[in-house]
Amino acid sequence: MIEDYTEGTGTAVVGGTEQRASRSLVTLLWPIALIGALLSLIPLWLGDSRVMMGVAVLGLTFACYAVGFNLIFGSTGQLFLCVGALAGIGGYGSAILADRVGLPLLLSILLATLASSILGGLLSWIAVRRSLGVIFTGIITLIFSLVFGNLLLGAAAVTGGDGGFHIQTGADTFLRQTIPPYYLMLSLVLIFLLTHGLLRRSYIGWAFRALRDDEVAAELAGVNVARYRVIAAGIGAAMLGLAGSLFAVTEGTISPTTFGFAQVDVETMVMLAFGGIGTLFGPVLGAVVFTVINELIQDLGQLRLLVYGALIIALFLWVPRGIIPTLGDLLRRQRTPARREE
Amino acid sequence: VIANILDGIVLGLQFALLAAGLTMVYGLGGVLNLAYGQMAVLSAMAVVLSMEAGLAPIPAVAVGLVAGGLLGLVLDLTILRPVYRLQGEARVLLSLLLTLGMAFMVDGFLTWRYPTKALTLRIGGGPVEIIGVPMVRGGVVASVITILVLSGLLVFFRKTTLGRAIRSVIEDEQGARLVGIDPQRMLRLILVLTGVLAALVAVTRSLVTPVSVTAGFELTVSALIVTVVGGLGSVGGAILAGILLGIISTFAASSIGTVLSLIILLVAAAVTILIRPSGLLGVKE
Repeated sequence: MIEDYTEGTGTAVVGGTEQRASRSLVTLLWPIALIGALLSLIPLWLGDSRVMMGVAVLGLTFACYAVGFNLIFGSTGQLFLCVGALAGIGGYGSAILADRVGLPLLLSILLATLASSILGGLLSWIAVRRSLGVIFTGIITLIFSLVFGNLLLGAAAVTGGDGGFHIQTGADTFLRQTIPPYYLMLSLVLIFLLTHGLLRRSYIGWAFRALRDDEVAAELAGVNVARYRVIAAGIGAAMLGLAGSLFAVTEGTISPTTFGFAQVDVETMVMLAFGGIGTLFGPVLGAVVFTVINELIQDLGQLRLLVYGALIIALFLWVPRGIIPTLGDLLRRQRTPARREE
Repeated sequence: VIANILDGIVLGLQFALLAAGLTMVYGLGGVLNLAYGQMAVLSAMAVVLSMEAGLAPIPAVAVGLVAGGLLGLVLDLTILRPVYRLQGEARVLLSLLLTLGMAFMVDGFLTWRYPTKALTLRIGGGPVEIIGVPMVRGGVVASVITILVLSGLLVFFRKTTLGRAIRSVIEDEQGARLVGIDPQRMLRLILVLTGVLAALVAVTRSLVTPVSVTAGFELTVSALIVTVVGGLGSVGGAILAGILLGIISTFAASSIGTVLSLIILLVAAAVTILIRPSGLLGVKE
């Protein structure tokens, strides 16, 4: 079901000539550069408003979440319903290590990201070992999310519980200013996109595609399905953890709802599904569209949720497979008759 | 200990009834209905509104059950149409997203229109004694209703032609089509039935605790977990898993407080799934 619309550039791996390889890198780099250029203009427009920049930073954080989730779910078909929890391990982990233990901030972020990555890999390893299907992986990771949320509430002495955690480290630095956090998160989005793009072009990407299309066939062709699933989950979880850490230190205050299932996982999934599962740029597109939608319906007050639900239904009735795959189909359909005329 | 087990069974039967509806739709159509809890809450509100309009409790409950059935029908006729056109994983995913949108709409509507309403049905009279343990009357009545409904369901699936037809679709949709069973019609029937079940969940639950407008999400999540522990598509599994988790939950709650008991319940569910990845009574895929 999950289709791939950038396969054309994969010729670099098959063709193997120097020229093709460099062209393929260009076709990867220019869209990322374009996205970076467009999004870096936002502060010129909204830079005066602290509130709006906060919204924009949150939107970019969700773009990061969506890229990480896409790498796990879109590339290898593992439904990880613990995006918020893995990001929360990054966020709470770095906050606790920096504030309560007193480690340097960078080291704290690094360790927390590592913890998130290891945990993601472990969850994936368990799912692979027990050969859990999509739904079962979803439920196991959902349970993990709920347990994590309850642990945050339960261990209030360390996490601050319901009242939230006010992070002291980095309080007077550029991290808490209005504009620098935006560019920090933007560069993270671009780095994640580049990482995912390069992965797709490497032999790992081929393995991902093979095992997603037909697991048994991939295994028979010598692809170690278990290993690549765990690799995807490990890298994806590291992305989630890092994004969660950076969001936490720029935001300054985190609470269990910052990383809650209803607040993060549901939103991320909607964004990714709308942009196009398994596509490289779908997650960012979905994150931008839904951040704008959320902001537009913010003033509706109590009706907000009703309108949001109606929009989700309308959008998915319109493009059930997501925007980018649908656009890809349209383009291809236009191109095919033209070719016949030749 | 016996009191705990009995309380656990009361809770477990609620879980079981909750999961039965969800598991049938999944087993039959590969549709994951995330608006299931919201269906229950909407039916509960129908009961509340009819009672406020002056209806006696029993006719009001009947209105709620009809409302639940209608909701199922509406779901089948509207947003699930495009879902049926897809197959396999794509179908699960689209059904999940569309019913999620539906859940948001229902939650949004209810919190906007009736933010403070809740359904509480009270049954007069003191506690009932069962094997020497005094039990709350509402809980006992709820459990009796649940047992009757669940056994009715099991009999329906085992003994009646229609029930067997539905099971044949669960096992092999193509084969069922070949012997002249229309899967679409069976699915519509099941959606109406799950709507009624959702309404029943709301009613029996309201005998024990109030069902508020915001209960939908929590109901859906518990239903999902119990369904998976029991085995997707297996009503018997849902019953077994529900009672098992109910007993674990009351034991944990009575010995170590609620936050930890929820964690223990969740871990127990996870462990069961890991030991039996296809569910307690599920068929291996």
